[in-house]
Amino acid sequence: MEEKVSVWTSNRFWRRSATWVTGVASVLLIFLTFDSMAQMKMGSAKDIEKKIDRRIPSPVVINYTIDYKLDPYRGHEIPIIGGEMRRPEGGIKSAYEKKEKFFGRDDYSEKEARELIHKGKLTIQAKNCMDCHTLLGNGAYYAPDLTKAWLDPTWETLAPAYNGKEYAIAAFLQDPPKMAMHERKMPNLGITKEEAKAVVAYLKFMSAIDTNGFPRNFGKIKGAVDARK
Amino acid sequence: MIEPCHDVVCSFWSYLNQGPMTLTIILHTLIVLPMIWIYFDEKKRLERGDLPNE
Repeated sequence: MEEKVSVWTSNRFWRRSATWVTGVASVLLIFLTFDSMAQMKMGSAKDIEKKIDRRIPSPVVINYTIDYKLDPYRGHEIPIIGGEMRRPEGGIKSAYEKKEKFFGRDDYSEKEARELIHKGKLTIQAKNCMDCHTLLGNGAYYAPDLTKAWLDPTWETLAPAYNGKEYAIAAFLQDPPKMAMHERKMPNLGITKEEAKAVVAYLKFMSAIDTNGFPRNFGKIKGAVDARK
Repeated sequence: MIEPCHDVVCSFWSYLNQGPMTLTIILHTLIVLPMIWIYFDEKKRLERGDLPNE
């Protein structure tokens, strides 16, 4: 009669399995890393001209209108840059056509726009915005999430008094206690006029980044600053 | 049966991701199937008794 064997207690079986799993997982992670790098690569002004969608669009999106709408095809909200158009397979996508003035201009070159958002990023880092706010999933939730702050409906209500949404946000940033609209008042961080303009450019650019619908249900919240009322 | 890519930037992985869990199931199958082969291969060796001393 054949001898009964136990594979489950065999060291060799477990060693071979562990080697296989570790090996395949390592190779997979390397491939997935390259895939993520392709997803995170910033688009160029040419992509926008050719209407090619990128998760992180070129900084020249500050020349365009930006909206946040539910795409039934992808099942969550997506940034709509320069108006919407129908996707041939169903759903909606950015049309990259409708421009709007940003601090009086809608012709920022790629270099100018990139320098502006870079200055905005440096200001955001220097003033430690993440101590209270969240940007792209990083930071705190003491103050409103800034990922889509440009699209916050509160700014639309203030826009007419300031001659535009960007001027209203810039005025707020330069002296937040003066325009306080929440119990948790933002302190005056000494942001200059130029820095405020750059931060607003960064916020506008950030709202155009495709974050797979994060933060969830943003469009349904009446306005991050008065959502708790 | 096979859906077009839903991702913003399409890649080999996004084509495998046909719906919720699909990519996970494909990748786990890739790992688990050869383990079944390893199991029976080891069983055969043990039954033959041609294993080197551990």
